Order: sequence, then structure tokens, then C-alpha cells
Amino acid sequence: MRIHRAIPLVVLSIAGLVPLWLYDPTATETTEVAADVGIVPEAQTQTSTEPPTTTTSKPADSGYGTTAPPTTTTRKPTTSAAVKTVNGPVVKTVHGDVQVQVTFTGDKITAVKFLKQPNTGPTKMAAPLLIQETLKAGSADIDSVSGATQTSEGYVKSLQAAIDAKGN
Amino acid sequence: MLTGLRRVEQVMGLPVSVDLRDGDERTRHAVDRAFAWLQEVDLRFSPFRFDSEVSRHGRAELAPEELSDELAHVIDLCDHYERSTGGAFTTRLPDHAFDPCAIVKGWAVQGAATILQDAGARRFCVNAGGDVVTSGEPEPGLPWRVGVRHPDHADQLCAVLALRNGAVATTANYERGNHIIDGRTGQPARDLLSITITANDLITADAVATAAFAMGTEGITWAATQPNCEVFAINSSRHVFRTPGLPIAT
Repeated sequence: MRIHRAIPLVVLSIAGLVPLWLYDPTATETTEVAADVGIVPEAQTQTSTEPPTTTTSKPADSGYGTTAPPTTTTRKPTTSAAVKTVNGPVVKTVHGDVQVQVTFTGDKITAVKFLKQPNTGPTKMAAPLLIQETLKAGSADIDSVSGATQTSEGYVKSLQAAIDAKGN
Repeated sequence: MLTGLRRVEQVMGLPVSVDLRDGDERTRHAVDRAFAWLQEVDLRFSPFRFDSEVSRHGRAELAPEELSDELAHVIDLCDHYERSTGGAFTTRLPDHAFDPCAIVKGWAVQGAATILQDAGARRFCVNAGGDVVTSGEPEPGLPWRVGVRHPDHADQLCAVLALRNGAVATTANYERGNHIIDGRTGQPARDLLSITITANDLITADAVATAAFAMGTEGITWAATQPNCEVFAINSSRHVFRTPGLPIAT
């Protein structure tokens, strides 16, 4: 049952990852090199440029489709939250084939990594890893508040106003 | 003798709070200069003032050699993020004047923090409309604890971050009139309720938060690839996505 729920999430993950190839400003050319197949260590350094730079960006014009069905492996059906990995389908992009593996702990995505990624192109090492959580609400002892408080009316109602009024 | 100082002013249309913990004669004077700098930025860079540098540039009244170094730098930053987001972030919407506010805000407030630093302040926090720059520690051994406002409840938090010498910016659409337009479609960006970015400086944090919000869902992943940025995003289904390196307070 969980697998059925997992598959749309895998597709979403790919939808999130594909733009990596599309938005990196260093993507100016693609060469014919064999794709780097294999599991990528999680602690990869990210390749990126420091702003501002003088680069060009590629238009987002990839058409891609799937060629292989997702496969699922479940391991450690122990204790409360089972850890499960799901391999996504191979997705063709303008830069080459992409396949991701998503790790679930219980129902939550705890890791996303590339099984297959183009060896060329701008972000070959950038595998951002996002953790999915539930939205919480609460209060805590804080020094400052980050939020979009752009009006004085919003400020008056904000926790930041309370902190400023309270003083040290 | 060191004494703390807290000051709030409305400048650049924003409530700006300074919480200075190592206040002395020199650093307290620097707080005055920091606010003066923000007022200067408001005069020079507001697109809502007809005679500001930004408005004149928008009307193409300034020759390249007339651009100040500061405005040239801001334009470079705007161009960088416009390219990097495929045009989702833009300073030139059709039928709108040139508006670099999203970049100017973070850049100006980071500049105010630098004024405090240069005067010797090492323990302070500046909050400008919910964008925060921290320096050092509020108390020895403790980080600055910065709450992230809950998208539905102004008086509640959905996360608490721990920072030392870092910046946090949040872009959201929960305040009236606060719409971010996706430059690719010309429509308000609706995928996300709120996105919070931590970075080493507020120029980066604020620009990445705004640009990612304009991009929508794909902006979460894009932001996670930006240098030294950590991400905490809430989408319209109220799911939270964050990077593992996000400095969550314990």
C-alpha cells in the first residue's frame, strides 16, 4: 500500500531534480560522455557559482519520458518506522538519463540521491537532499522572528513587536 | 562599560529592529549611522520616489557612467538571479517600473550590519521586516534563536533556527498586498506559502528566498543548490521541505 503512495512522490522528486540541469548558468554545452551510473555518496559538494557572474543560462526546453518502471526495495521492517528505498524510473533529459533513489522512513522522504546522472552538464555533483516534514505550530523562547512582515500593521501583530517591546 | 541597546524604526517602509548586546559609545553611534544608511538607501533606491537613482535608471535617464557603484552592483545581482531562475525572478515586469526592491532590501540591511561590525560590534541582531542578520552570540555560549513565523498564525512559529554570524530571510504571501510575481508567467506565484533561507549574508538569503518563491515548487530544489544556503519551505498543501543542514535550534 505504501508503494502506491510512494510512486507519485518519486515522480515529484524527479520533477524537482530535473530543473537542476536547466537552471545552472554554467550549462553551455553538452558533450557525449558515458553516463555516470552508480550510487552517489550522500555528502557531495555542490557545484555552483558565486553571484554576480557573467554566464548564460539554457532555456528550459527538455522533453522527457519514462522508459523503465519504478522498482522498490524494502529493508529493515523493524521497530516503528521502516526504512524503504524506491528507485524512480529512468528519465530522459536534454543532458542525459536521470534516475533517482528515494529513501522513506515510514511515510516521509528522508533522502534523495541519484542512481543515474549525466556525466556532463552543470550540476553533475549537485544532488540536493530534501527532508519532508509535517508543519508544526508552537511557541518558543526566541531572540528574533523571520517572516514576511512588510507592513506596520503586520508588525504590530507580530511576535517581533512583542520581542522588541519586551527588551533584553 | 558595555550595555545593551534596542531600537526600532520604520525605514524603507519596513519595521527595522536592532538588538545590540555589546553596546558602547562607539557601537551605539554606529547604530545611528546604520539607520542613516537605510534612510539614504530609501531615498536613492526606492522605485516609489520619482527622483531616486532607481527611478531615473528605470526611465533610462542615467548614462552608464552616471550609475553609482552601488546601483551597478545591485543591477549585477538582479541580473544574476534573473538568469539563474530562468526569468522567474525579474526586476522588469511588463507595465511596471524597474523595481529591484527584492535585492535592495537584503543588500541594504547587510550594509547596516557591516556598519555595526566595522565599529567593533560583535554581538547583535538586525531584523528588517522579518529578514535577519546575526553577529556573534546574544549570551556567551548561546546562538541567536530565530523563530520562523507560521504561515497561518502570526503569533506562532513553525521552526526555530540557531544562528551565529549568519542571515535568515523569509518570503511569503501571508501579508495583504504582498504578492510575488513569477516573471515567466506574469502571474502571482502560488506554489509556496513561505520559504525561509539561511546563508552567510542577507544579500544571498533574501535574494534566494524571493527568487525561489517566484519559481514555486522547483524553487525549493533550486534554492538548495545555492552556495551555503539552507532551505525551509512550506508549500500550499502545507507540507514542509527542508535541507538536512538547516540549523534547527535544539
